[in-house]
Amino acid sequence: MISKNLTAASTKPIILAILKQGNSYGYLIIKKIKELSDGQMQYTDGMLYPVLHRLEKEGLITSNWTMTNETRPRKYYAITELGKAALNEEQLQWAKVTSVLDSLWNVQPTTK
Amino acid sequence: MSGYFEVPSFPKAFFQWYCKKELYEELHGDLEEFFYERVEARSLRFAQWMYWLDVIKCCQPYAWKDLESQNSDIIMFKNYFKTSFRSMMRHPLSTMINLLGLSTAIGICVLAYAFNQYKNKVDQFHENRNNVYLSTFFADRDGKEQQNGKSPLPLASLVQQDFASVKTTARLQNRAVVVKSGSNVFHERISFVDPDFLQMMTFPLKWGNAHELNDPNSIILSSSLSEKYFGKQVPLGEMMLVIIGKDQKKLFKVVGVAEEFPGARSFSFKALVHFDNLTDLDQGLDTQDWNQLIDATFIQLDEPQQHEYIASSMDKYADQFNKSSADWKINRFSLQPLSSLYRNSGSISGDIASNEYHVLQNSAISFVIIGLFVLILGSTNYINIAIVSASKRLKEIGLRKAIGANRRMIVIQFLLENICIMTIAMFVGLLLGTTLFIQWMEQTMNFKMDFTLNDPYLFLFLLVVLLFTSLLSGVYPALYIARFQTASIFSGKFKIGSKSILTRVFLGFQLSLGCILVSIAVLFTQNTIYQSQRSWGYDIDRLVYVKFENAKDLRKMRNVFVSHKDIEALADSRHHIGKEHEMIEVDMPDRNYEVQLVKVGDNYLETMQFPIDRRGPLALGKNGDIKGIMVNQTFVDHLDLKQPIGHAIKYGGGNYHITGVLKDFHSYNFYTKIKPLIIQPGLEDESVYLTLRTSPGTTADIKNELEATWATLFPEIPFNGGFQNTVWGNYYENIKDGDRFWRALASIVMLIAGLGLYGLVALNVSGRNKEFSIRKVLGAEWGSVARAIGKQYTLVFVVALSLGAPISYFLTRMIFDLFFPYHMPMNFHFFGYSLVIMLLVLLAILSSQVRRVSRNNPVVGLRSE
Repeated sequence: MISKNLTAASTKPIILAILKQGNSYGYLIIKKIKELSDGQMQYTDGMLYPVLHRLEKEGLITSNWTMTNETRPRKYYAITELGKAALNEEQLQWAKVTSVLDSLWNVQPTTK
Repeated sequence: MSGYFEVPSFPKAFFQWYCKKELYEELHGDLEEFFYERVEARSLRFAQWMYWLDVIKCCQPYAWKDLESQNSDIIMFKNYFKTSFRSMMRHPLSTMINLLGLSTAIGICVLAYAFNQYKNKVDQFHENRNNVYLSTFFADRDGKEQQNGKSPLPLASLVQQDFASVKTTARLQNRAVVVKSGSNVFHERISFVDPDFLQMMTFPLKWGNAHELNDPNSIILSSSLSEKYFGKQVPLGEMMLVIIGKDQKKLFKVVGVAEEFPGARSFSFKALVHFDNLTDLDQGLDTQDWNQLIDATFIQLDEPQQHEYIASSMDKYADQFNKSSADWKINRFSLQPLSSLYRNSGSISGDIASNEYHVLQNSAISFVIIGLFVLILGSTNYINIAIVSASKRLKEIGLRKAIGANRRMIVIQFLLENICIMTIAMFVGLLLGTTLFIQWMEQTMNFKMDFTLNDPYLFLFLLVVLLFTSLLSGVYPALYIARFQTASIFSGKFKIGSKSILTRVFLGFQLSLGCILVSIAVLFTQNTIYQSQRSWGYDIDRLVYVKFENAKDLRKMRNVFVSHKDIEALADSRHHIGKEHEMIEVDMPDRNYEVQLVKVGDNYLETMQFPIDRRGPLALGKNGDIKGIMVNQTFVDHLDLKQPIGHAIKYGGGNYHITGVLKDFHSYNFYTKIKPLIIQPGLEDESVYLTLRTSPGTTADIKNELEATWATLFPEIPFNGGFQNTVWGNYYENIKDGDRFWRALASIVMLIAGLGLYGLVALNVSGRNKEFSIRKVLGAEWGSVARAIGKQYTLVFVVALSLGAPISYFLTRMIFDLFFPYHMPMNFHFFGYSLVIMLLVLLAILSSQVRRVSRNNPVVGLRSE
């Protein structure tokens, strides 16, 4: 199971990336993350919604209520252009972190 | 699927209650989708559990409603609290009376709780209480099988050797010795124990090391003994001389001092020394002697579940014991867990635990009953005052109803007022209980309850008391007040029910309860006076006794005083009434009877002046007839002897016959029932007590002379004697403490009942202000006002007191029979005191109101609303 801190730190890029693939709502986002992480990342409504609403306030995503005949009303979220730019920025930062970690982990220990 | 299953309603309602409206739809939609998915994937039960979990996980500040602005219920309750507070402030008299009554009642309940906890906590501080056992045995005694807490001396080593699951054993034997350190010399009772005793029992040391008890030259002191000999200083390394008998002496080095013992304990020690010292100092003691019983053998087990198996396997030792013992025949052994030793100590004779559990149990029950009664009294006060004071709030209630409040809202408002008062009363009561009642009881009764606020059960108990009292006192007034009709309130036709039957019943109940409690308290006080004046059955006032180490020492003293001009009579004895006796079994054809045996020398009966009921041709000890014995009346009754004089009696392998019967007298205090007693002539060489009857007015001087002579004859040993009227120790002090306790309780009860009545009458009178003003304008004198006020209470008073008096009679008799084997005779005239007290209180309350009305200006009364 991935630690709570790491899960919390990665919430923003993960949500933005999922929404970049297509509009979605809370339940689906949680399921998608669980599926992609093989159940290693466990989100709850209590963790997800504060972030979703913050991103909406920052203008990175937008929302609108959608209702079809068969289902309950659902609030779908979509990524904005600002959100896409923020996602690019996040991607660069995470890539940098990954490369630092990779280079550290691939170094062979030196012997005297 | 979703059509067939619904999310659980309770967590859903909880979610709805806390979640912001704007988030509810979105968040709960997801929770529902997860629920249905889980129902399909797993099971309904699983989905329901997970839904609960989700609801709890979502309960975060982020999702919470803004309580101030969003929740109308909260606003409503806030306003109710505000109204309640203002109403309490507007009616300070009723508020104060209610608060005082209820908080005192709760304070007494806290005291009752603390006492019950104390009773249940006894010995529970021992960490090994569940795997340490006291070895006991069952033997036929007094015609039935009795459990005994003593054990044969060789038992411990055999048990340790024979059973693998026995971790360790510890023997304990208490002995009276003389302890000397510097100029301090006192008689003490010290304990000879095996070193593992302190590993088994949790008696932590404040100084020193428990392991040093392995050294036979070491002594560990209790905190109080350390203070007695060495004051505040740390006595480690100090030397103490212990003298057993007169000649056996040994120096011990102080290696430890115990922390002050917890109050809730059934046994402790003054000083501990290695058990081997007992065999060294007491030459006659043989460690292999099965006939030698010691005070206790404790056994610690590795596996407590083995204790029954071990106890049954220990039966093999019974044969070894029975072969050597003439007095006792052991049927079987039993292991008594330390955790329940105190609870069962009443049925175990000779065990080291104090057997006061049944006294504590009875006291605890009495406390609970008193607490409950006082709580009901406080609540009845509240009910009466709430109903009568509602007459001043009729317009408020009418107005609230007129602007839309329904009955439920009025009920809630008045219940909340009650809860407000109850909550304040709870805090004040807790404060009163902890800082006043418990402290005061500990001081008067001279014991420690180890009460602590750090006890979750205390708060649970207080919550139950709060709910119980709120329901008891709040529901009826709330329902009664909410019933008022708006139209009749505003048309002025509505009158608060002074004539309502239920109100009268409550008033009557309050008075009866007051009468019962006051009667109980007054009767206890009278019984205390009775006990302090009760005769012992013989003349104790001019008697002095002295105990010696041996008959030789006794003779030295006797020779000095035998021809003293102020000595009317003197006698020596092996035992002494009030100090020492032997328990023996008398063999009778039907069964054996356990009786007390006192061996005395010539002239003992004459010196003690026991009243003789019947005397046969042979008096005790005369004509060299040592087979002649005297018995008390209880002996005759107990053994059902029709012709006691000359009756043959067998005990201890000898044949005796009764030469006289003594009237019953009290050997021990009045808490102890008089037991069958045999007085037998003893051998002169066994005598250790010297008893002297002095001529009038010289008793104190003779005791001083005895002490002075003792100091000359035996300078190393402190004087061991006193006035006969002190042989019961602190009995009379304890009686006085009990008296103080009951007097204080009577005063508290009187205060609560009196305040309640005062509040009730005062409110009633002020509600009839206009009526009395009109009466006065029309020329009514104070006598007529008094009749008008008193009329409505007279019948209730008479009925309540006539009911209260007989109930008090039966209740007090029941409590007395429970506590006192000898209590004052119960006559109805004793209840006269309580009735007079109640009547005086009532008269004082009524006359204060008559005085108030008589002084009031009728013009002001008629103008007022």
